[in-house]
This record gives sequence, C-alpha cells and structure tokens, in this order.
Amino acid sequence: MDISIPELGDVDEVRLVRWLVGVGQTVQAGQELAEVEADKAVFVIEAPAAGVVREIISAQGESARPGRVIGRLEVQ
Amino acid sequence: MRQIVHIRLGRERYGPVLDLQQRLRRLREKGGVPDILLSVEHEPVITLGRQGGEEHILASRRVLERLQVEGHQVERGGDVTYHGPGQLVLYPIVDLRGWGRDLHRYVANLEEVMLRTAGDFGVEAHRRPEFPGIWIGLQKLGFVGVHVRRWVTMHGAALNVDLSPNLFSVIVPCGLHGVEAISLAEVSTGPVECAAAQAAALRQWANVFDVEVSTVGREELARWVR
Repeated sequence: MDISIPELGDVDEVRLVRWLVGVGQTVQAGQELAEVEADKAVFVIEAPAAGVVREIISAQGESARPGRVIGRLEVQ
Repeated sequence: MRQIVHIRLGRERYGPVLDLQQRLRRLREKGGVPDILLSVEHEPVITLGRQGGEEHILASRRVLERLQVEGHQVERGGDVTYHGPGQLVLYPIVDLRGWGRDLHRYVANLEEVMLRTAGDFGVEAHRRPEFPGIWIGLQKLGFVGVHVRRWVTMHGAALNVDLSPNLFSVIVPCGLHGVEAISLAEVSTGPVECAAAQAAALRQWANVFDVEVSTVGREELARWVR
C-alpha cells in the first residue's frame, strides 16, 4: 500500500519534515508515520492500515506535491 | 451556523497550556468536545517549532534563566518564537473536516483575523509572500504556527498587542535574520490593551471563519478535562 502526501486543500507543495518510523518497522493502523509542513502548518500522516514499512521513497527535507507516493507499507 | 466555544485562560505558563491543548485535541479527535478556541497571555517563553534551530536563540541559558524565560521544543510548524505578557495568543482546537479541509485557507484565515484586529486599532498590517504571519513593513506583528493531526488543529496565532517586556531580542524571530517584532501599541494612535484586542479578535474570528463564538468559563473546561 502506498503512503502518499494527502490532499490538504489549496496546498501546492509540502516539505517532508521528518519520518517517525523506519523501514522494517511494524505499525498499527492510525500510527503516526511522518510529518509534512506547508505555510507553517505541520500535518501528520498516519498509517492507513496495520503493516510493515517496506520502503521510504522521499527523504526528510524534500518537497513534494499532494498525491505523491513517499513510502510503501505492506499491509498485514 | 458553525459554533466555537471560547475559553479565556488569562495569564498562564506555556507548559500547562501545551498540555491542555494536547488533552483537548485528543478529546476533539474522538468527538468528546466541541470546537474550542483558547485565548491566553503567556509568561515569557521561547518555543522552537519543527524547523527551529537552537542557533536562533541568541541569549545564553544563564541569561534566559535570569530573565525568567522558559524554553520549549514543540510540534508546530515554523522556527523559533517568543511569547510573553502583552501578546494575545489564540489556540484553536478545531476539526477542519467541518471547516473545508483546507490547510492553506485555515492559515490564511488566522492571518486575516489578526489583520482585521489590527485594523480595528487603526493599524494597517499586511501579508508578505513566502513569509507567513502579518507584518508592518519588515517588522513582524503577528505569528502563525499550527499542528494538525486527523484534521484537528492545535497551536495557532499570536498577535503582539503591547509587549512588556519585549524579549524578541533574545531570538532570531522565525529564523529570519534582521527581522524585528513590533506591537500594536507602538503604531496605533490610540490606547491598545490586551483585553480590547482580545474582544476585537473574537469578533473578527466570527467574521472571518463565519462562526458563532460563545465564551464559557473555566469550569466548563474543568468538566471536559477532569
């Protein structure tokens, strides 16, 4: 399952502030995975389902548009 | 019409109010409380947001202790800022799913509330592209910094009304070198008091967000977070 930047309204681009999990980590549904920031507002991306983080595609500090896949989760 | 419940906290240290925000947000996420707007004046404190670097704190730990300025690292967006007496701080704990799910619009509206509040005191402030907050020329009057989880907000906006003391000089505000902070009282031709600014900000909050603001006492708060 993709971990994506969510649609945040009239926001063109966000900066990936930090990952809160690492590759190989088991996460619960709703667990905080990453934080993104736009316009001095930090938004928390949560796990859409329980699983294991298999890939981190975008690094901290990178900019990304809403919809972009920044990581992958193997649902369990 | 949407409603928001306002609670006036008065003068408070930063830590307990941060804890209160976190508790209220957890309750808001579960639908256990309505949308809430906290207003507060803080005892002197420096906070570092997610982009904050300690190099933007110019005073030593010893000097900050002597000045009785606390320090906190917090989850909001932005860099370093100062809060203290004479600054009106607004912490909305709102579920943005009922407010249009638009992060940009929300922050713009926080700025708009501060712009119009300044306007009520005859002060024309403005936005600066790329530099959130509100400004008078290159001096910063109002600040925003927000954290959103499950679309529920915390942290918010701070408007310099009549800073006393003005300790922004111990930091690089927002990490922007050369930027100074200014207060409404320095540029308004009439008297400006925090209570009047708060009343104006609540009126403008209702106008900008198109909500009904009702103020309740702290006993209501105690019922929610006991």
